[in-house]
Amino acid sequence: MFAALFSVFVTAADWVSPSIDYHALAPEIILAGGVVVVLLLDLFTSENNKWMLGPVTSFTLLGSFIPILTLALSDSGTRSLFDGRYVVDNFSLTMKGLFVLAGYLVVLLSSDYLREGDFYEGEYWILMLSSLLGMVMMASSRDLVSIFVSLEFLSIPAYMMAAWRKRDLRSNEAGVKYFLLGVFASALMLYGMSLLYGISNSTLLTDIGKYVSGEMSAVRAVAILFVVVGFAFKISAVPFHTWAPDTYEGAPTPVTAFLSVASKAAGFVALLTVVYVGFPNASEVWQPVFWIFAALTMTVGNVMALRQTNIVRMLAYSSISQGGFILMPLAIAGEGDSAGAALRAVVTYLLVYAATNLGVFAVVIAVSHKTRSGAISSYGGLFSYAPGLAIVMTIFMASLAGIPPLGGWIGKFGSFQALVSAGTTWGYALAVIGAVNTVIAFGYYGNVMREMWMRPVPDGDTTHVVVPSAITVALGLTTFATLLMGILPGLVLHFGDLANLAGAFGG
Amino acid sequence: MLLNEFLFLGAILFCIGVYGVIVRKNAVLVLMSIELILNSVNINLLAFSLRNGSADGQTFALYVIAVAAAEVGIGLALVLLVYRNSRSISLDDLSEMKG
Amino acid sequence: MSEFLRSYLVVVWFGLAAFLVGSLLLGISALLRPNNPTSEKLLSYESGVDPVGDGWSQSQIRYYVFALLFVIFDVEAVFIFPWATQLERYGGFGLVEMAVFVAVLVLGLVYAWRKGVLRWV
Repeated sequence: MFAALFSVFVTAADWVSPSIDYHALAPEIILAGGVVVVLLLDLFTSENNKWMLGPVTSFTLLGSFIPILTLALSDSGTRSLFDGRYVVDNFSLTMKGLFVLAGYLVVLLSSDYLREGDFYEGEYWILMLSSLLGMVMMASSRDLVSIFVSLEFLSIPAYMMAAWRKRDLRSNEAGVKYFLLGVFASALMLYGMSLLYGISNSTLLTDIGKYVSGEMSAVRAVAILFVVVGFAFKISAVPFHTWAPDTYEGAPTPVTAFLSVASKAAGFVALLTVVYVGFPNASEVWQPVFWIFAALTMTVGNVMALRQTNIVRMLAYSSISQGGFILMPLAIAGEGDSAGAALRAVVTYLLVYAATNLGVFAVVIAVSHKTRSGAISSYGGLFSYAPGLAIVMTIFMASLAGIPPLGGWIGKFGSFQALVSAGTTWGYALAVIGAVNTVIAFGYYGNVMREMWMRPVPDGDTTHVVVPSAITVALGLTTFATLLMGILPGLVLHFGDLANLAGAFGG
Repeated sequence: MLLNEFLFLGAILFCIGVYGVIVRKNAVLVLMSIELILNSVNINLLAFSLRNGSADGQTFALYVIAVAAAEVGIGLALVLLVYRNSRSISLDDLSEMKG
Repeated sequence: MSEFLRSYLVVVWFGLAAFLVGSLLLGISALLRPNNPTSEKLLSYESGVDPVGDGWSQSQIRYYVFALLFVIFDVEAVFIFPWATQLERYGGFGLVEMAVFVAVLVLGLVYAWRKGVLRWV
């Protein structure tokens, strides 16, 4: 036994130090440096100077966006580090850009919220930067170990951020529920990963792809299923969505925005990499799973959203059902040559969804600043006293519902197109379910619009809503992005086209 | 090599852990059950690593151990936070939000 | 029975022998010694002083932070051991990497120190 242990180490004797491509790692290094700088600043500055932490965080995020741009513009193609365990390709660069910009918008949403609520400020920024670092790492990870580590790296700070209002039992409940279910899911995923390692004798996803093929034995199916279920918790797919409404409602609103956009996108990125690079030849196992997930997630999310009276809880269920729409193309990704189309549809939808949903939460934060209420009825008559907010909220709601010519439409269009072009019965069936759900979704999105435009102001208080400048900037950016992606769909489709996953099938 | 015996041990630990997570109502006991699952994963990884003669599994197990410690740190802090505010660590009492 | 399991048979024999010898000696002494129980003999031993309170006393909640800090730093040390066994092989590169790792760990300690967690009030 011990001889076997010893021989493992001896066989790796000819070790050479890896050559590290620092340009490819620059976004991660800048983010890690930012964490250290913010931590030290927080520890060694007086209470009066803590205001600088937010700006330092946003500069870090913008700073890490620069190497992402230069990497995207350099024509060196795919960069593979550490024997292919860490890959910087166009897919990962697109997603890294999404994470960093979404993080920047969340910083804009958080800064005034934190100032007013008497929160621990320094730790909030540190945790958010750490979580973003995990997401950025996730986009490049092509190895079970690094996928696991980056998943935990992005989740563990998020558990704490959900419970950030220390004295509020609702926030605590949000944190504990998110934590217990998240950790349980990652434990299930790890069990699947350990079986995958046993099957293929490697943690590298491309090696696993070679072994997980052909005749499906039970152990392979179980391994794939556990890994997929682990990520299904992260993207709050039904029936693993139970944490999402409570966590979204109880957590501070900027954190909810962060969870529902960045954390969810990270889950999808992980799912895409694992499925496309790790299990390309096992589509008979994961296609039905995704089909069921997509159908259930859309339907349950929509039906539950219809009966909500709290705007954040309604948005939580809306975000669950949007996740179902994003999952749709994966249900046919293994049919013929539709893998590439499915990948493009998912990436496009994620980009559009991120911009729109962050905008919605910006409006929610701005409005609740005045009304101090989370009820949908508190939006009554918003147009009469805050026409600007009502108009942008209408744009976002219409985009989430998928009305042309807004961004959400192009996302939904891509998903349906991918489903239909696969030409299978299952694809058509799912497209029909999706279409029905799109109609149901008009119910609750339209309800918010009706409140804003047609209902009277609930308490007759029509004083002006003071929107902090940071939130104005966030609203401007997200509105611009939502409109631009709808009017010039070529732009976002171009990003979708760019998103080829190196080493994946069909991409 | 006793691969089957190790895998069997891992599977039993995994099942006990999942049972505990589902049945237990005490937050700390749920945390302990999750630790059981993580340890079953470690047993699997080490068994496969010895059978296959590659060090990847052992490296993976090291990361699992470290991350499990971080998770317990956060988990106990969260449980303590809830206890301070509600004087209870029963998961059934955590029902402020419904719907 | 496989070769692997058979090599553990020695352990079983040792265990049986130890159990037999132990119970034999204790049995002989139980037969020979006088038996005179008093309530003082059942008290738990605290260096000769009469014990105060219950054995199941609650410990201060502030210990919990120390325990957590200990667990986290203790477990992070697990990454240093594989490097330490192969110190020469990884050379300067390994040294720099480990220096970065330890620096980040020290940052955590600095955080705990500045937040006043390490001070015992």
